[in-house]
Amino acid sequence: MKVLCVDPAADERRETRAALADAGFDATICGSLDEARGVLAADAVSGVITEYDLPDGTGLELVTYAREIHPDVTGVLFTDADFAAIDTDALSGTVVEYVDKDAADARDELVDLLSFSIDNRSQTAYPLPDDEDRRLDAVEAYVDDTDALDDSLDRLTQVACALFDVDAATVGFVEDHHERFLACQGADIDRLDREDTICTYTILDEGPTVIDDTREDPRFRDNDELSASGIRFYAGAPIRTDDGDAVGVFCLFDDEPRSFSARERTLLSLLADEVMESLDLRRRLREATEDGDE
Amino acid sequence: MSEPAYAFDGLPLDPVRRGTSILVAGPSHVGTKELAYRMLAGADDEGVIILTTNTTAADITAECEAVGIEVSPDRMGIVDCLDSDDSGVPARVLTVSSAQDLTGIGMRYSKLYSDFHSEGIESVRTGLFSISTVLSLTELQTVSRFVHTLVGRVSKVGGLGVFLVDPAMHDERELRTISQFCDGRIDVREGEDGPELRSQGFLGGSSTWLSFEPLSDGR
Repeated sequence: MKVLCVDPAADERRETRAALADAGFDATICGSLDEARGVLAADAVSGVITEYDLPDGTGLELVTYAREIHPDVTGVLFTDADFAAIDTDALSGTVVEYVDKDAADARDELVDLLSFSIDNRSQTAYPLPDDEDRRLDAVEAYVDDTDALDDSLDRLTQVACALFDVDAATVGFVEDHHERFLACQGADIDRLDREDTICTYTILDEGPTVIDDTREDPRFRDNDELSASGIRFYAGAPIRTDDGDAVGVFCLFDDEPRSFSARERTLLSLLADEVMESLDLRRRLREATEDGDE
Repeated sequence: MSEPAYAFDGLPLDPVRRGTSILVAGPSHVGTKELAYRMLAGADDEGVIILTTNTTAADITAECEAVGIEVSPDRMGIVDCLDSDDSGVPARVLTVSSAQDLTGIGMRYSKLYSDFHSEGIESVRTGLFSISTVLSLTELQTVSRFVHTLVGRVSKVGGLGVFLVDPAMHDERELRTISQFCDGRIDVREGEDGPELRSQGFLGGSSTWLSFEPLSDGR
């Protein structure tokens, strides 16, 4: 697992890298904010471990920057700076874990905390389903040959737009950090960060989620992605496996607020079920083919 | 043998497993805050950390003592967002300049927890009083990351988290999002014969309203 470790003191960062390597992390090290930005622009990392005081900025600035590119990144301030010397007012919303570098066994604590936070994704700005690991396994198992699905999903989203009289319909699969859209009718989206998509919340509920007006919902009224795309109405039904794991969402969007009847909710759920049936069928076909080849 | 759990003496709540975080939602005038404090009252060898957004460290101390929590620097830490005069407060007090400074609150909380742990205190009950203040100052997505990180820390160290919120101050969807980070939610209301609580997400998912006895009239 890739992480970035930033510390102006070369011996300290090497020592931290050694502790991280012992725990199985692939740690890139550097000594400044500028170098760190270069690393983050080139590659995704799961965690950023940083001193507070960097020659050209602060560790909190670094974590803020890292989350602009990779919103789910785990941030840990690993520092010997006193609280009085750390300006948290300016970046009060960054939110990081903190380990005192001067504490006994500090690097053990750092590795322990980092491992837990990354494994449990405990710094995301959105809630996760109860059994997220199992759900992600299901996404991987069902959605591995997406090209073969494109045509049938396109047809379904086309039907959905006409049936519900909406601007756009999509089928998206909610992966670990993004929602990946496999079919888009009336919209052109490839993928969205999970913290920016309403479907992140839809997969937490059993039935469809309907947002009559996104500007009236406190969860989404400050969402820049929605504002930029002009989305005001949203309806989404989870695409759920027989085991109950929501691998994706069948969504409808419109640029005008509107209501959605109980009958429409039922029909939308039927479309989501139809996608699941296709996924299931293709999975069984794939397994049968693989068995036949052996 | 299963790990020891957190018990709630004098309250109609079953013990919960280590690492549990609970949202306690109710209006202040029906004893919700007193209930939250009582949930922090545990065995003598447990630590208590309170993150206070709208009450001074001195008042927190008095309110803890009122519900039977023995306040001493050996087992009590407070993160005070009012930056109040904490001289004479018999607890470890770390201050931040405002309840908006979620980064600062979280770091000081980690410091207190780590110090207790290194001193051999294995069980710590944490109170966040209250999420309502935090939500009134900061956008939901940032508060979500803060609560998620806090819940994660409680889970990692096998602690107990008690997060207080006044539902009247928030949209239900906002409240629901916050509760989705927690393992369970307790709602509090004024019943015909006094305060009642209802737990969701644990205790087998019971949705029955149960009365509980307030310790004082000063609810």
